[in-house]
Amino acid sequence: VSLKEIDARGLACPAPVLQTKAALQEEVWPGIKVVVDNAASQQNVQRFLESQGYKTTLEQSGEDYLVMGTCVSKPEEQPRLSPAPEAHVKKIMVLCATDRMGFGDDELGLKLMISFLRTLKEMGSDLWRLVFVNNGVKLTIDGSEVLTDLKDYEKAGLKILVCGTCLTHFDLLERKQVGETTNMLDIITAMELADKVISI
Amino acid sequence: LVFPTDENVLIGLDRADDAGVYRITDDIALIQTVDFFTPIVDDPYWFGQIAAANALSDVYAMGGIPKTAMNLVAFPAQEMELTILRQIIQGGIDKIREAEVVLIGGHSVVDKELKYGLSVTGIIHPAKVLAKKNLRPGDSLVLTKPLGTGIINTAIKAGLASAELTDRVTRMMAELNRDAARIMGEFDVGACTDVTGFGLLGHLAEMVCGSGSSVRIESGSVPVIAEALEFANMGFVPAGAYKNREFREKMTVCAETVPRALQDVLVDPQTSGGLLISVSGSQAASLVGALQAGGIVDAAVIGEVTADPAEKISVV
Repeated sequence: VSLKEIDARGLACPAPVLQTKAALQEEVWPGIKVVVDNAASQQNVQRFLESQGYKTTLEQSGEDYLVMGTCVSKPEEQPRLSPAPEAHVKKIMVLCATDRMGFGDDELGLKLMISFLRTLKEMGSDLWRLVFVNNGVKLTIDGSEVLTDLKDYEKAGLKILVCGTCLTHFDLLERKQVGETTNMLDIITAMELADKVISI
Repeated sequence: LVFPTDENVLIGLDRADDAGVYRITDDIALIQTVDFFTPIVDDPYWFGQIAAANALSDVYAMGGIPKTAMNLVAFPAQEMELTILRQIIQGGIDKIREAEVVLIGGHSVVDKELKYGLSVTGIIHPAKVLAKKNLRPGDSLVLTKPLGTGIINTAIKAGLASAELTDRVTRMMAELNRDAARIMGEFDVGACTDVTGFGLLGHLAEMVCGSGSSVRIESGSVPVIAEALEFANMGFVPAGAYKNREFREKMTVCAETVPRALQDVLVDPQTSGGLLISVSGSQAASLVGALQAGGIVDAAVIGEVTADPAEKISVV
């Protein structure tokens, strides 16, 4: 019968309980002995072992606590020790360098762009930044058909960035109604931080 | 130690409140606070946001409006890429901007261990300062964010937290207390603090000591991150929680019916936790209603202030 021994003296929480967990992930030991030198670690290790189907006893010798665990559950009853894999919430940046989607018919392009921006909300909390540059900035000024939609996004917490150089170029600085005026360094930093950049 | 002071110091070091308050005129007082710490999440951008939200929180807890901020940076320039620092500061800037605060300076040093935070200055009317200790018997206690971030952060270190949970708790810690503070300003609030490293009971103890009142906490009503109970039962309780419990043991009476894991959560050290508000009992329900309508969905009445002069915390 193999007994696992862990000497976690000199370590503060959560290190001793992390070591104990690592040992159980290695193998389901029939018996395990953990030595710690503070009450907090002793309680954490004991609670951990009990949550994993071990019966525990405690001995105290001087400054040291000896936690002894004996496995009393069957392997199939062991609780899982790693989280189920899940999709992580992403940081998606959408860069609109135009007020038309695609090339060809301008009227169709505008319709598509409006529909694109309205449907973008389906990305949910993954949508992290919406950036407008070049002709794209025209979607953020008064009279834009998507102005209310963009304002709703902003109200819901989405950060909208609008290129200042572009607004100045088109002489639209005063007419911008939504988003923060931004510069190239902010845009590049956002690209660097994003998990994914979608460029239109 | 003897601290220099003058007659315009409304709240100074002797009071150990959330922030210092200094009167400039009869209408304006400065609120000043500083906080910085080592990374509590892996993502540098989110660490920057959380550190900034945490530093700003002390001004909100005093009932004030933060106006200016300065960066405090300790960075291991030899071992770490500068892009990491840029991401941290970007996170801080995004949070500062969200709070409608301006960044007007800062200071950085080379250090073995990375640290980031802010010094924040805000303003308040001298008569409207929400000190910690103004507990009034009959007031209700309201908490605006769920507890358990210390335990969850321990579980993250153990590789036990799912990506979804990690993300949820990260966003919770990065959440500003601004809206909660603004809404609180519309009600008859006697005292307020924010819940951070000493845990709920530790910060409550700071309110109670010297107040001449006692408090009673309904443990079942306290908002809690559900997974924190599960991980506490598995022993993933940070050392700070044990210290917090021990430190306030003498003034705390906890009913035996309160489950062990819930007791742990009540002393769990929080990062950028919620506001703990003492509001007139008759307005408590409408304050919680207004907070929830304002998007602070976890806000709840968690207990009440009692007239017992023994200055005790009882948890039932």
